[in-house]
Amino acid sequence: MDNRLYFVLGDLLSNIVIGALIGVIAVLVVGTGWNMWLAMVLMMVVGMAISLPASLAFGIRFGAMEVMVPAMQTGMMSGMVVGMWQAMSPLSVSQGAIIGGITGLVILNIIWVANTALRGIRTLEGGRL
Amino acid sequence: MIDLNTQQKWDKAAANFDLMAGVGAERRWLPQKEKLFSNMQGKVLFLALGTGLDIPAFPPDQDITAIDISPEMIKHARARMDDYSGSITAEVMDVHDLSFEDGQFDQIYTSCTFCSVPDPVAGLSSLKRVLKPGGELFMFEHTGSRYFPLSLMMKLMSVITEKVGPSMDRQTVDNVLKAGFELVEVEHVFLDVVKIIKARRAPD
Repeated sequence: MDNRLYFVLGDLLSNIVIGALIGVIAVLVVGTGWNMWLAMVLMMVVGMAISLPASLAFGIRFGAMEVMVPAMQTGMMSGMVVGMWQAMSPLSVSQGAIIGGITGLVILNIIWVANTALRGIRTLEGGRL
Repeated sequence: MIDLNTQQKWDKAAANFDLMAGVGAERRWLPQKEKLFSNMQGKVLFLALGTGLDIPAFPPDQDITAIDISPEMIKHARARMDDYSGSITAEVMDVHDLSFEDGQFDQIYTSCTFCSVPDPVAGLSSLKRVLKPGGELFMFEHTGSRYFPLSLMMKLMSVITEKVGPSMDRQTVDNVLKAGFELVEVEHVFLDVVKIIKARRAPD
């Protein structure tokens, strides 16, 4: 991952804000008592759809794919987690925001670990990189 | 023959292109691009020039031929071309139908180009034609991912992004091989999504 502080802070900001935003939307959209799987799938799609334009807004300052890819994963996961949670037991808007924000932080850390494993020079072995 | 649909898409995008890509993405990728472009030597073809956001990463005093499918993009690139210490000759051209002679260039550079070329293998084959035998292809590209769930997500993203701009799901390394280039090196810059691809046309 980028080790320049400006971009590290930008990545953190964009994922936490987008995660929180989707968390709030999930609380507002999903009703307690809904079928858990329906809530999960619906909010996964909604989370991804909303996180694309949101990531473009952050991307203007902080980068392209490095912002968009984690942000869309965050949108997807935050929607799923908060949507399922809200279907099982009622959450307040602030709780949705906090859970969504934490989900964004977790996703970003997973992306950082994956990037550390994947980045660098690759060789062609058996026709695949 | 120019693909008019693609040309119109990028003509429309030209006015706001710097706003979307001119700060975050370019600042983030500048070190990698400077390193890649520092390889420039001999007769160089650069595509696609766009609004010239890559020009500040070019090494000084090169003689570069650049193409773009969009005349509006080249119009916006003019100020950056004028500021460059070397020489940049820009032409409106479709990569599928290059008007250059066979084996004309020592090196070809692309920068976030093959996410947007409608037929990437045909486009790369066209590049191979104008590259000298033994000539080098250097690409800075974003591609699809091989890894789930990134792969699925980028397929879904492409459904939307292809309407207004680039695809997020191109398998550019595979396309380079399909076009008949010899792969020299692939460097992953971010995950397996942003990458530097070095290839060459086999010597005769």
